[in-house]
Amino acid sequence: MDTKIKSLLLEGRVDGFWGYRTMNGFPFPRLFTKENANELEPWRPTVARYPVLKLLLREMRMHSDRTYGVLVRGCEERGLRELFKWNQLEPDKVIVVGQACSRELADWCECRKPFPDLLDYGEPAAPVTRSRKVEALQAMAMRERRGWWLTHMNRCIHCHGCRDVCPVCFCTECSLEHRELVSGTKLPPDSSFHLVRAVHMGGRCIDCGLCEEICPARIPLRSLYKEVNRLVEEIFDYRPGVDEGMSPFTFPGDELLLPTR
Amino acid sequence: MRGTAGLRLNVRLRLLAPDVEDKWGMNVDDKAFEPKILGFLCNWCSYAGADLAGVSRLQYPANIRIIRVMCSGGISPHHLLHAFQKGADGILIGGCHIGDCHYLKGNYMTMKRVKFLEGLLKFAGYDPRRLRLEWISAAEGLRFAEVVREFTDQIRSLGPAPTFEAVPGMDAHPSEAFSGRGEFTV
Repeated sequence: MDTKIKSLLLEGRVDGFWGYRTMNGFPFPRLFTKENANELEPWRPTVARYPVLKLLLREMRMHSDRTYGVLVRGCEERGLRELFKWNQLEPDKVIVVGQACSRELADWCECRKPFPDLLDYGEPAAPVTRSRKVEALQAMAMRERRGWWLTHMNRCIHCHGCRDVCPVCFCTECSLEHRELVSGTKLPPDSSFHLVRAVHMGGRCIDCGLCEEICPARIPLRSLYKEVNRLVEEIFDYRPGVDEGMSPFTFPGDELLLPTR
Repeated sequence: MRGTAGLRLNVRLRLLAPDVEDKWGMNVDDKAFEPKILGFLCNWCSYAGADLAGVSRLQYPANIRIIRVMCSGGISPHHLLHAFQKGADGILIGGCHIGDCHYLKGNYMTMKRVKFLEGLLKFAGYDPRRLRLEWISAAEGLRFAEVVREFTDQIRSLGPAPTFEAVPGMDAHPSEAFSGRGEFTV
């Protein structure tokens, strides 16, 4: 990480670089600039994952004229592409350095592509195409599955953590804060809260799983959004995070993406 | 006079009071079940179709409560889920036929959303048959009456909608696939 990124910074190709720095034994995301470029450490594989794209988006909204570099995993690269497509970031203002995830992390995430296309560090792990968790839920009877979800959603403390950490939740106004539709005082919030968020994830979720990791109530949100992704692929033949194509839920709708009944 | 007021109040309460439910949110007194169906009808086609059904004096069940919207494409899934949460037994969405939308492509959006929402409802454990999308033009008053009749019968046979609220005693069945999902450490 040190030599390649240092040269990017010192040559002036990027104004800042979102990398990681070890603090108290843990890697933490940090913005490196020319001034602190000598603090860069050699790359090592970690399982620590952070909403780096959220940090990048915030930084770029404040300084739209600057160019930033970022160290991405497979999921974060998919997220970047979605942000480009939704016109939230400019592709020529972001320089990407890729790192692969370990096999253990890929298995745990049940990730379909645990490495970015532009790979600079690490060995690519084998993709996991089947999700045991989603399959286990699909095998349940409908009533049983409803009870399963309601019990989990009942623990929700309405902290909006899943939304705040999500790299593709970039809206500045959120319908989940609409007080006519979502009560601000009811706890747990209506279970439709989670389903509405799942609807918004359609054609957008890049399956990074940060929502589930950050959830203080340990709601298995990732399985919900994995199914959302499966549905979008089945109905519209679209997979978020690919280079070409737009989400089927963009307006006005493309006739080619109509579901075949 | 008091008698009439009492009767009216009683009727009101009957409409507003939640039905008697067991722990799974199922209605115990099935005979008393009258489906509450919410209809979102587009201003240009389906609402005019419903109007035509009315002026033609066609009979259809009074279980449907109609909300007029300017375009079926303007119905957010948020509204549909909110309606289910608040106890709607079924939701009927009426829009213009494909290609006839007053706003050119609004109903394409509806079609995509509803198709997707059906799958999501199924995964969350709700019967997607409670959500129905129909294309009804302004000339199809007969068809509107037919659709409402058919849908009401279907919801009646499905029974009251299950609750969206978690009920005590309803446990998450432990699944092997989810076991050991603790912290992932370095």
